[in-house]
Amino acid sequence: MNIKENLKKILIEELNLDDLTPEEIEDDAPLFGEGLGLDSLDAVELVVLLEKHFGVEVKNLDEGRAAFQSINTLVAFIEERLVQ
Amino acid sequence: MVDIKQKYNSSKKWTAKSIGSRFQHNFFYFLIKHGGRETAYFFLSFIVLFYILCKPSIRRKTDYYLFHRFKRRCFVQRLADSYKIYLNLGKSLIDKAVIGLLGENKIAMEFFEREKLLGLLQEGRGLILMMAHVGCWQAAMSALRFFKTPVHLLLLREEGDIDRHYFEHAGIASPYRIIDPTGYLGGVLEMMQVLRAGEILCVMGDRLLGGKKGSLAVDFLGGKVLFPISAFKIASVTGAPIVAMNSYKSCSSGYTLEISGIIRVPAEAGKHEQDLVPYVREFALTLESYTTAHPYQFFNFYDMWIEDSQNTEEKRGILNEH
Repeated sequence: MNIKENLKKILIEELNLDDLTPEEIEDDAPLFGEGLGLDSLDAVELVVLLEKHFGVEVKNLDEGRAAFQSINTLVAFIEERLVQ
Repeated sequence: MVDIKQKYNSSKKWTAKSIGSRFQHNFFYFLIKHGGRETAYFFLSFIVLFYILCKPSIRRKTDYYLFHRFKRRCFVQRLADSYKIYLNLGKSLIDKAVIGLLGENKIAMEFFEREKLLGLLQEGRGLILMMAHVGCWQAAMSALRFFKTPVHLLLLREEGDIDRHYFEHAGIASPYRIIDPTGYLGGVLEMMQVLRAGEILCVMGDRLLGGKKGSLAVDFLGGKVLFPISAFKIASVTGAPIVAMNSYKSCSSGYTLEISGIIRVPAEAGKHEQDLVPYVREFALTLESYTTAHPYQFFNFYDMWIEDSQNTEEKRGILNEH
């Protein structure tokens, strides 16, 4: 399973998005507000699940702002960190 | 007759803006500089009396809390209660300005639990200081300068708010870094960063900074009140202890700062919002105890209570009386 598929599956499980399937989560849709509809409390959980499942840490606001735009930006962030 | 439902709903929102005008603020700053704290208190007592007697809309803002705290009281008693609350609020604002204009040594701040706070900080998971709009929280903040660790404050400042912080009066840099709750994702990423660096985060635990999202309803003074939960959620993932602490005016020129509870939110409690209810209620209980001990130093001038309270009809009846 590639990172994107794995990430979507984890998001559904960890953020209680039970009414969604991985296929229904659009790669470019915003994660917060419109799109996936996550809120600031989900952001806390997102930081934790990135560490728990991928071993990558969101160190500051700027990193978070760039990474948390969409599934694609999140995957790019994970891949970049895993390479480092 | 004023539409009580409209009044009830419009009162739901609170604002960070001051009741007083810029002129009134400057008038008091002048009094403090040239006449001292007692002179400012003297003029304050008449101005508060004017507001209580001549501005029912201002007086009514205290009725929501007073109803839940004291239940049914006669009109004259409610006037007196409202006067005491506004007088204490005015004194706390004057005291805050005194600290900035005349120096910190002009207002005494007793705090006997420094070692306890330092011990909690040494756990290395950061520290969340959860305060409320009671006593003089800004004077309390000035008393926390013994920390060598950076202190960060989640603070909403509205455009046009003319109320100044004590350090602004003193013309010095803010002793704490301010995190804007209207910023990206409500400031939660910055809050996590603070705690993970083992630093100190101060939040106000009694008001929602935005909509109802990110809040939970728990019992408070006989009704349900929405309390913000982001700090509890962050505590669950970082392991940071939450220290409920508040100040109260304990003498004419001084305050006492006390720890009213230490709340530890386990990691598993953060997974589902409803699991946070016991911890939010723990904080609400510390506030209830505060209102029992210091009933006239609680400064939330809006209807905190949501409408499922069994007291709603009775409350509407009382609010409709005047």
